[in-house]
Amino acid sequence: MSRAGAPLAGIAIVLALALAAVLAPHLPLGSPTDISKDLALHAPAVGEPFGRDDLGRSLLSRVIHAYRVSLGVAVTSALLAALIGGPLGVIAGYAEGWFDQLIMRPLDILMAFPAVLLAIALMSVFGTGAVLLSIALAVVYTPVMARVTRAAVLATKVEVYVDGARALGATVPRLLASHIVPNAATPMLVQISVLMAISVLIEAALSFLGVGVRPPTPSLGLMLADGRGFMLQAPWMVIFPGLGIMLAVLGFNLVADGLRDWFDPQAGVGASRRG
Amino acid sequence: MATSSPWLYAARRLALAVPLLLGMSVLVFGLMRLVPGDPAVVILGYKATPDGVRALREAWHLDEPLPRQYLRWIGGLARGDFGLDFRQNEPIGQMIRDRLPVTIELTLLATAGTVLIGIPLGLAGGARRRGVADRATSALGLIGVSIPDFWLGIMLILGLSLFAGLLPSGGFVPLVESPRENLLHLLLPALTLAISRAAVLGRLSRAAVLDVAQRGFVQFARAKGLGEGAILFRHILPNAAIPIVTILGLQVGYMLGGAIVVEMLFTLPGVGHMTLDAVLERNYPVVQSTVLAIGAMFMLVNLVTDILYGVIDPRVRGR
Repeated sequence: MSRAGAPLAGIAIVLALALAAVLAPHLPLGSPTDISKDLALHAPAVGEPFGRDDLGRSLLSRVIHAYRVSLGVAVTSALLAALIGGPLGVIAGYAEGWFDQLIMRPLDILMAFPAVLLAIALMSVFGTGAVLLSIALAVVYTPVMARVTRAAVLATKVEVYVDGARALGATVPRLLASHIVPNAATPMLVQISVLMAISVLIEAALSFLGVGVRPPTPSLGLMLADGRGFMLQAPWMVIFPGLGIMLAVLGFNLVADGLRDWFDPQAGVGASRRG
Repeated sequence: MATSSPWLYAARRLALAVPLLLGMSVLVFGLMRLVPGDPAVVILGYKATPDGVRALREAWHLDEPLPRQYLRWIGGLARGDFGLDFRQNEPIGQMIRDRLPVTIELTLLATAGTVLIGIPLGLAGGARRRGVADRATSALGLIGVSIPDFWLGIMLILGLSLFAGLLPSGGFVPLVESPRENLLHLLLPALTLAISRAAVLGRLSRAAVLDVAQRGFVQFARAKGLGEGAILFRHILPNAAIPIVTILGLQVGYMLGGAIVVEMLFTLPGVGHMTLDAVLERNYPVVQSTVLAIGAMFMLVNLVTDILYGVIDPRVRGR
């Protein structure tokens, strides 16, 4: 793929999936939850390309409806983390000194746990559901956003043009708003796309484990958990939801890679990818 | 502040780990106290009898003020006492020690796989920017990082064990019982973890190699007529090693503690499996201790990585 082609493909994938998810109830898909025992475990066919599950539900309809949760959690958690972590990072990076320590040291504690483990621990306290999962993931991501923003602010504020603006009498809010924050925006956008990709993976994993979204809400992870019992009779029950996860993650990763190349053509890969 | 001695650097990093570890323990302790309702009633669930609740409150010292409870827990941990799991009436420390070898063995195998797949992938890609190999490995790497590891595991089970019947689809046999069976049972989960991590490692080592390859000393080595092989192994690899070692350290830490989904998928009795069981059973004393134990392992592996490359590269010590 050409240099501009990959990010464009990423944007196209993300937009197409988001559009399908938003419009899902109005698309001619059939219900994702109606049970019809006579259709149980029907193989993929022309009218039903993904086949049907053990309760006769259309897998295509379920996958598309599941994107509502998947993308909803991804967008909510990443934006929440940016809204909380971003300002914290700007303050920490601009102030430095003890104020910086006061903000960053507690966030280091959150960063010290593996992301999936912290998310599971939070969900064990919060309970299950898409909203709670979004909040839990936002907590996990906030320190990442704060770190990325802080690093960008630290790098920008020593630039000559910032010194120049300061010498010309620009106030601190003006310096931040017109010089420092705009320069921190690109790494933040890259990180937001990476976090959205990771969110889709973690939502699926946690729902698969039974600590994410609750049934009967269609979720890609829950569908994989259901499908495990029918792997030999109906492999399509585990194949298509997994491909669905992969497509969404690929889309966000392509967007992130494209933004990163655009931001820094020299670098190959770089944004923090928490395991 | 440039600290010249690697030992001083290591000591400074270790000293910084102590407050971090304390902070982690406060976080986990506080989190478990946020569970709504009387923890004793929540833990016992429908089996809660007044006597049972009273016994549990006493055993877990729930009547004491929170700071006392915390100090009691942390004091026990310092002596290696993780407390008692009142469900199985087993010491939690012993439960963790029983399950740790499984997780460690899985991590070691998966790490070996990650290195064996990831590094050649990265070198093949990084050797010639925008060549055929580079494009192919970049695409493979991107697809690899986008595949959910547990779904990859499901596909491997489907293909290699259910259809082809080559490998067992789950379960665990201890190494001392039968080394052959042990390896056979760990092969699929290790491969599952390795493929996903290798994609990340491959992408990163490609970037690291490309970054070093355009530096002046590499161009100089080429100008003085050194062969490409010698340039790669004598000049590029040693300099590209730091980011590669860092990401590998992160991945080892992740696998020690975060391979929960893969342990569940393959029904391996590891620490991650134990943690998730405790979460699903609302067994909060066990959740509290395992989450901290795993978090501490993750942090320590990262710390060791940090110290290691501080020892390798004097420039890092100054930061």
